[in-house]
Amino acid sequence: MPFEEQLRRYRDEEEFALGMGGSEKLARRRAEGNLNARERLDILLDNGDFLELGRHARAMRPEVRHKSPADGKISAIGMVNGRPVAALSNDFTVLGASSSVINGKKMRHLRDIADRRGMPVVFLGESTGARMPDRMGAPGRAILGQDPLEFRRMRRTPWVSALLGSCYGSSTWFGCMSDFVVMRKGATMAVASSKVTSLAINQPIDPEDLGGWRLHTGTTGLVDYATDTDEEAIGLIKDFLSYMPDHNGVAPPLAEVPEGSGEDAGKILEHFPELRSRTYDVRKIIEVIVDRRSLFELKPRFGRSVVTALSRVGGRSVGIVASNPRSKGGAIDVDACRKATSFLVMCDSYNIPLVFMVDQPGFLIGVEGEKLGAPGKIMNWMNALSQCSVTKISITTRKNYGQAYLNMGGGRTSDASACWPTADLGFMDPKVGVNVLFGVREEDDPDRFRELVEEISQDSSAWSLAALYEAHSVIDPRETRRYLIDTLEALDGSDGARVGKHRLSNWPTSF
Amino acid sequence: MAKIEICSEITGSVWKILVKEGDEVEEDDALMILESMKMEIALESTADGVVRKILVNEGDQIASGDVACVIEE
Repeated sequence: MPFEEQLRRYRDEEEFALGMGGSEKLARRRAEGNLNARERLDILLDNGDFLELGRHARAMRPEVRHKSPADGKISAIGMVNGRPVAALSNDFTVLGASSSVINGKKMRHLRDIADRRGMPVVFLGESTGARMPDRMGAPGRAILGQDPLEFRRMRRTPWVSALLGSCYGSSTWFGCMSDFVVMRKGATMAVASSKVTSLAINQPIDPEDLGGWRLHTGTTGLVDYATDTDEEAIGLIKDFLSYMPDHNGVAPPLAEVPEGSGEDAGKILEHFPELRSRTYDVRKIIEVIVDRRSLFELKPRFGRSVVTALSRVGGRSVGIVASNPRSKGGAIDVDACRKATSFLVMCDSYNIPLVFMVDQPGFLIGVEGEKLGAPGKIMNWMNALSQCSVTKISITTRKNYGQAYLNMGGGRTSDASACWPTADLGFMDPKVGVNVLFGVREEDDPDRFRELVEEISQDSSAWSLAALYEAHSVIDPRETRRYLIDTLEALDGSDGARVGKHRLSNWPTSF
Repeated sequence: MAKIEICSEITGSVWKILVKEGDEVEEDDALMILESMKMEIALESTADGVVRKILVNEGDQIASGDVACVIEE
């Protein structure tokens, strides 16, 4: 056979690359219930098909070339639900998928292609961090920073990350720069591993405390979701991408409207208590407004008094920012501010119109919030909102008090605003106002308290706001879906969202 | 079995306790109703598990961050 030797070499090289870190390591992973890097790509990409770049790359250092297939990071271009994506799957069985000169070149090349073609990038993370001893000493420093744009994030295309094991170094950094992050329970994400950290601070540390799912979904907000399995995590990535455009030069694709959407719109009042002192879960209200099965909440365990969710109305992608009185009565705390700002940045970057659903008693005031820089976070949010160029619609359902009225799309910060007849606008609840202004509490002097409440109460109704043409419409709550469909069509046309100016696309990747 | 401390998210008072020690609860179940900002706000479990300890009584004042009860996963 002609070229027999060369073709044999080709087969050997293929076998070496596809063999990853070797059968023993792969079997151990399987026994532990962990998928390997190529199995993860098979699940992510349609039919498991993809173009692989750098399959035959190996480590730069000669003494590890024999054990560095693909140099530990598998670079792929394939399709997710018929749309193109670039994917980088870390192969932990190869030198812990540690970051090296060669696999750094692979990552940069993949990102360049995604940018040029205009397609999302998916990072399947599990890595140990910088490769040792490559990065030791001055020569190690000299190989760093050779790509000055390595950590520049311009949001030309959506990025998503799954944290599927121990994530240090690149899996952490690119996770933090992603628009959506999902984590498998048991995975960790941190600046340095628990082993390194324990040595540095000279005390034992639990990896879960250092960077587990509870910390990142509930406290840092760096992770959107935690799942039990890799398959679930990858499934969420596909769901997220379905709301996104391929790149920022186009609107998100219009989806088919699922049968039965809007059928329950009349039941909206079942989820909305008449008593103003009662709380409720706004997600139940959103669910009956939007297209069926299209409520995709981001960061549900973080900053919970504001819900941020991708959704669809009449087949269009929308970003919903909704007060959730179920948490803190809807009072907006620092975490909720951080979450809302990052959501505005994302929606504006990818041409996703914003819908505010407002029932909030104001920002959560107190020493704790001030220590966390509440005023700065509130102004970050306002600055972002002022620069958003996607269509913004605000609906006040109940309370809408204080400065937060503006943050939630009040005044001219929205393109269209509506109120339910139940809306209550003002600077603060008159009962709280009496406490503040006169120092009188209801339980101390009920008659005097009632008198003072009446004295300081102004007309705070939806009708009063509509008469001043600050609310453009007052709508029956049961007509909210219809209102949104009609308003989006009126403002953006019938063929989808407008392409915005993306003034926020280079904003920070966490707040 | 991990012990999870359920902390109040707000400063207010404990209006009604809905569970007792030994009860099994699921994540997001309401454990007690707090009163703050003229609203009744549920304090919810952040994990599935068993209520091991309730550290407050009805009528108590509670501050943001105070542990109200302990759940064992």
